[in-house]
Amino acid sequence: MVEQVNSFAIKTKNVSVHYGNKMAIDDVTINFTKNDVTSLIGPSGCGKSTFLRCLNRMNDVIDSCKVQGEFLLNGVTDIYGDSIQVETLREKIGMVFQKPNPFPKSIFENVAYGPKIHGLASTQSELNDIVMESLNRAGLYEEVKDRMDDIATGLSGGQQQRLCIARAIAIRPEIILMDEPCSALDPIATARIEELINELKENYTIIIVTHSMSQASRISQRTAFFHLGKLIEHGDTSKIFTKPDKEQTNDYITGRFG
Amino acid sequence: MNSLNKRLSAEKRFQAYGLFAVALSMFFVLILMWKIFSTGSGAFVRTTIEANVFFNPDFIQVNQNSLEKELYRASYVALADEVVRQNHPNLNEEQFIKVREMYTRKFDYQLRDYLLDNPDKIGQSIIMKITASSDLDQIVKGNYPRDVPEAQRKINDYQLSVLDKLTSEGKVSSVFNFWFFTKGDSRDPETAGIWGAVMGSLYALIICFSFAFPIGLLASVYLEEFVKPGKVTDIIEVNINNLAAVPSIVFGLLGLGMLIGVIGLPYQVPLVGGLVLGFMTLPTIIIASRASLRSVPPSIREGALAVGATKMQTVFHHVIPLSLPGTLTGTIIGMAQALGETAPLLMIGMVAFVMEIPGGPLDPATGLPSQIYLWSESAERGFLEKTSAGIMLLLLFLIIMNTAAVLIRRRLEVKW
Repeated sequence: MVEQVNSFAIKTKNVSVHYGNKMAIDDVTINFTKNDVTSLIGPSGCGKSTFLRCLNRMNDVIDSCKVQGEFLLNGVTDIYGDSIQVETLREKIGMVFQKPNPFPKSIFENVAYGPKIHGLASTQSELNDIVMESLNRAGLYEEVKDRMDDIATGLSGGQQQRLCIARAIAIRPEIILMDEPCSALDPIATARIEELINELKENYTIIIVTHSMSQASRISQRTAFFHLGKLIEHGDTSKIFTKPDKEQTNDYITGRFG
Repeated sequence: MNSLNKRLSAEKRFQAYGLFAVALSMFFVLILMWKIFSTGSGAFVRTTIEANVFFNPDFIQVNQNSLEKELYRASYVALADEVVRQNHPNLNEEQFIKVREMYTRKFDYQLRDYLLDNPDKIGQSIIMKITASSDLDQIVKGNYPRDVPEAQRKINDYQLSVLDKLTSEGKVSSVFNFWFFTKGDSRDPETAGIWGAVMGSLYALIICFSFAFPIGLLASVYLEEFVKPGKVTDIIEVNINNLAAVPSIVFGLLGLGMLIGVIGLPYQVPLVGGLVLGFMTLPTIIIASRASLRSVPPSIREGALAVGATKMQTVFHHVIPLSLPGTLTGTIIGMAQALGETAPLLMIGMVAFVMEIPGGPLDPATGLPSQIYLWSESAERGFLEKTSAGIMLLLLFLIIMNTAAVLIRRRLEVKW
């Protein structure tokens, strides 16, 4: 199967990650197709979150973390190379975390912060538009439009997480990384986020780490199964969940381990 | 079952010990407070004697049209003596000296200050409440016994009889002692005030804050957020913790040796005092600030980094504002500690007799604790109550600062 170079949002090759002497990722090669939702699944400690955080270099802040291998953004830009600064990279690759982490500032400030530091808006009204549009896309605008100046930590968990998604898309990234975004939420809030992910994939490439296999099967087009730092299998979600090639994958999705 | 009873009674015993410990410490605090208040409250009132004062223009050689400079220089000492003679007629020279001793030695200043404020009173007679001498004040307040042999008293029998006469005429009264809060130090307890020391301490604390807070904040932010942990930071960390435990007199020696000896800053000024207190407070601020930076959740840093903020933007836009309540609390508590430090002030000379109220950090001054120390060394009974009153004021400032620290923390603290 030959695919065009530019149909991949991120290509990785022979990625290994060590925390000190401990190996977390072992020789993983995986490509992420554009405008798809790719789920990274696997048991706890399999390295899927570590791998996700390598993609926008969030592991840089951990001193003991050593990343090796090739990471290419849009097939050309070396993510760990000198041609792109980490701040610019994170402008292109946004991230949503496991626990909602809005800044303890106003709702408006939370969304406006990214556009402000990147100079995306030259006037206040432009900034207002960006904030409004981002909140709209995150499906939060209607709920918060009358209290934009309220402190964001006063929102419910699900609202906070959608605010974090709005914050991530306010800087117009190409790719959004999500690290178990629903694990701290109740089922209704989870359903809202899943719905949102489905809408967002029109415009963004989404890579999501999830513990829930049903969630992976509901929202993603592609699924990658990690185990003990190795990529066991990667393919279309429908195939992984119906007739996986590897027995390990089959054991995991049928609940025999993990 | 028996063993359970044993365990329960052990708990009861433990609670009783705890209650006893709390009660004992409260008892000591109460004794301390009672002692300070009962001794110090006398400093807030002073005894005055009513006297008829005639500002005789011929006698003091000024008139209504005199310049302020001339009014300032008029011969008030002679006028004071004259007032005493007029109010106690027919005294022989020995009696006059004794009666004059019953009034404050600063009688002339009181006359001068009054006339400077009311120049239109020249040529007029007015009734003034003249401050009594400290010894008379102590007799009136009952701190000196009257029923001991004359030789053991500072007020002799003749003076007592004059006092009793004045009292029966209703001329002896007590007024609120504003001077204690508005004047500088004095050789005479009745005119000694704490304000010079308060201003000295205030200037020193301002210098201390402006020196120690920015440096402490920068150092802690750098150590906590930017530098990679390793051997060097471990050594620095140990040293900072050690510095916080160094006796304050050592910082005083540092100030004497470095600031005054090497750099050549002047002796006994609040600038040096503030810098020395700043050295002392710096470790406290760094430790408090680092703890408070560490308590900012990492998820906030990740959130900012993930939208493409630089490390510095992350720290300055998010981490420092969130850590500021804790840092400020630590700073205020450190400064409250600095306010009460005496030893460093002794080393750099802020323990001298200073009458003038300092107008800036480069004027000679004492601080509150060193003023208290100075007064406590004086023999006069009048200074004993000043000492306790000074302690009351110092405690009041400490309570205010510590309350401010608590309030700032409550007001600014972010709820997660």
